Amino acid sequence: MSIEKSELLRVRGAFAMLGVVPVFLAGWFGYVQVGQAGALERAGRAPLRLVPATADSQGSRQEKVPAPRGTIVDRHGNLLALDCETYEIRADIRVPMGVRDDVGEYRAWLAKVLDALSLALVADPDLADREDVRKRHVERLAKTLQRELRTGELPASGPVPSRHPGRADVLVAGGVDSLAIVEALRGLAAERWFGNVTLHFLRSYQRSYPERDLTYGLVGHTDTKWRKGAGGASWLETTGVCGLEAMAELRPDPSGARQFLADGRGRPYFLAPISDAPLPNVLHSTIDVDLQRIAVKELAAQAEAGAREGKVTVPKWGSMVLVEMATGDVLAAASWHRDEKNAQAASFTPYQSLCEPGSVVKPLVLAYAYEAGKLDWSAQFDCAPGSAEYRERIAHLGRRKPVRDDHDCHVLDPHGIIMNSSNIGAAYVGLMLEREEWEDYMECFGFGRPLGWSLPHGSVGGTNKRSFARDIPLRSFNANSAISFSFGYELQTSTLQMARAYLRMFRGRDAQLRICRGAEVDGQYQPAPSGIGGRAFRPEVVDAVRAAMMDVVSADPHATGTYMHARMLKELGIDLHGVVGGKTGTAASTIGIPGRGAVSVRNASFVGFLPADNPRWLAVCVLQKDDSARFYGGSYAAPPVVRLLLQCQQLEQRRLQRQEPANGASGQARDASGTPGDSGWSHAASESKALGR
Amino acid sequence: MRWMLAGLLFALAVALAIFTAALRAENSRSRHRVEREYREVWDRVVEFKRLSIEKLSEASPQRLAAAHWRHLRAEEARQEARAQ
Repeated sequence: MSIEKSELLRVRGAFAMLGVVPVFLAGWFGYVQVGQAGALERAGRAPLRLVPATADSQGSRQEKVPAPRGTIVDRHGNLLALDCETYEIRADIRVPMGVRDDVGEYRAWLAKVLDALSLALVADPDLADREDVRKRHVERLAKTLQRELRTGELPASGPVPSRHPGRADVLVAGGVDSLAIVEALRGLAAERWFGNVTLHFLRSYQRSYPERDLTYGLVGHTDTKWRKGAGGASWLETTGVCGLEAMAELRPDPSGARQFLADGRGRPYFLAPISDAPLPNVLHSTIDVDLQRIAVKELAAQAEAGAREGKVTVPKWGSMVLVEMATGDVLAAASWHRDEKNAQAASFTPYQSLCEPGSVVKPLVLAYAYEAGKLDWSAQFDCAPGSAEYRERIAHLGRRKPVRDDHDCHVLDPHGIIMNSSNIGAAYVGLMLEREEWEDYMECFGFGRPLGWSLPHGSVGGTNKRSFARDIPLRSFNANSAISFSFGYELQTSTLQMARAYLRMFRGRDAQLRICRGAEVDGQYQPAPSGIGGRAFRPEVVDAVRAAMMDVVSADPHATGTYMHARMLKELGIDLHGVVGGKTGTAASTIGIPGRGAVSVRNASFVGFLPADNPRWLAVCVLQKDDSARFYGGSYAAPPVVRLLLQCQQLEQRRLQRQEPANGASGQARDASGTPGDSGWSHAASESKALGR
Repeated sequence: MRWMLAGLLFALAVALAIFTAALRAENSRSRHRVEREYREVWDRVVEFKRLSIEKLSEASPQRLAAAHWRHLRAEEARQEARAQ
């Protein structure tokens, strides 16, 4: 086969032309990559180097992933506070060049954007008053845009001035957690006409409190404020204001970030999921939310009962705590205020409100004196007000206010002093103690000492600053302070401090109340130190005082718990004698109230424990009235304590019968991914589990 | 023959270039889709968390007891109506 010369030329020509193409491409590549290599000058910024790394960085994007604050659970794993994932929606609005030729078109375009955004923000089908909410969104966004784009300065007609801002970064909405709204906004962002507006869905957290009505003071709340750094940089910081929220374990770690890619039009491309986000810490509180519910209900019912019956005035405040004796764990702590306008702002009375405890301290005084060897438990005291013993031991001291009892008592032993709540008897015992022993008594029972919870705004109380001053003569100390201390005056305590004092009598001098059982930090559970310890009171001391407190709650006409005993027998059909032990307290004091000056108040208090023969739970209730109406611990503070203790026992029996799972009745265990206790998007492992559900 | 082989090799190179470009385009398209799905999943995580909290609060013992009580009252009324 032969090829003609002309044909050969044509073929060679064609292949030569094809060969030119790669040569041209190679030349062009060399020109672009070598000849044009260098840097782009940028106004006010460093030149942009035209190297492959620059190309990569141009496409690289970073999404900030905030760290969760942490979760607070009760002792059975029920959620008390947690982080809920939400979105903060920001819009980068760039006004199109086409509408800048006419102010009317400019305004119409902005109105269209506002309308579309506000419509998307009310896309949740469960939203009530949708039209009203939409109007509010329009007004808010219009104000923001007016500020950012200075639309108020635009001329009435004609083109938009060339120097007028054409770009704004605005917050569209925060705390968006509804799928319908998110989808509506994403759909809007995908629309062609909306191309000049870029919506950023920034990850954020919102604190949620599932049992909020029960835990305002206990769990506390957070506050977010702007902070300024040394270099002038400012940032938003969320801190715990009070309660458990203020604990160090709930301070979030630095936030993480997720990398992804974007093309020239800003379209995102997947690179990797979140890899290094910190786990949310979990604070295991000692609270039992079921008992907390009962405590809150009982306290409120008792405080408001007077108003319902119209017989007595309503207390100013009330508090009640329940403690597990074996561990010192606070199972419930309820707070009540008469004039509460804002539950979040109200003080947490068990921790913050102080009062003179009154007669509830008598068992402690007698226990201390007995333990110190100053009191013989079989000793007899003539507690009649005009008796020779009274004149010899009390009256001759020259005390300004005489010591009186509510009802006349005669010869009493220490058991009888507690049962009758005799002030004169307690004063006799108090006068047996030296000044140094009184100081040790305060130290021993923790009066005037903080609870050691490292929570803010706690009240410490204690004695008068001059009570133990060395320049006060001993006779004067005995006549005033020693006698007053004996029946709970000249001393301020909180309800929790009183509970701790009794815990120490039963469980040891260093016993502390616990509010936190432990914390999971970075996935590792760290138990809190035990609240129980220290030198214990001798068993005969504890048994003697406990037996006396058992008889306080009896049908004996001289016992101060008679009223409550009869009431419970009638209401519940339970003879409390031998079931519940306790001590009543009633104190009349004068306190300063802002705007009202010195006001007479009466404190009704009760300390109770159950079972009486081997106490497992201890409860203390204090109610304070700011008038001089009749108000006694046995009739006002005792009933809620007894009801709480009985319900506590019943609840435990029900739980044993039900054989609840270890993680609690609600099944809201923290480690179950995808449940509210698990912070979904902060950990890759959680993510896969959550998505698989 | 050799010109023919050269032409085939050139065609192969062009095909390879087109295939590589198509593969990269498909990769980008997939990454874009994965990113979109990833975000959609997280949108649902947000919704899931919201609903979980909502249902948890609805299922508090007090509310359940109230709902149970309402049901019993309604049932009692129905039984009474039937008896009459």
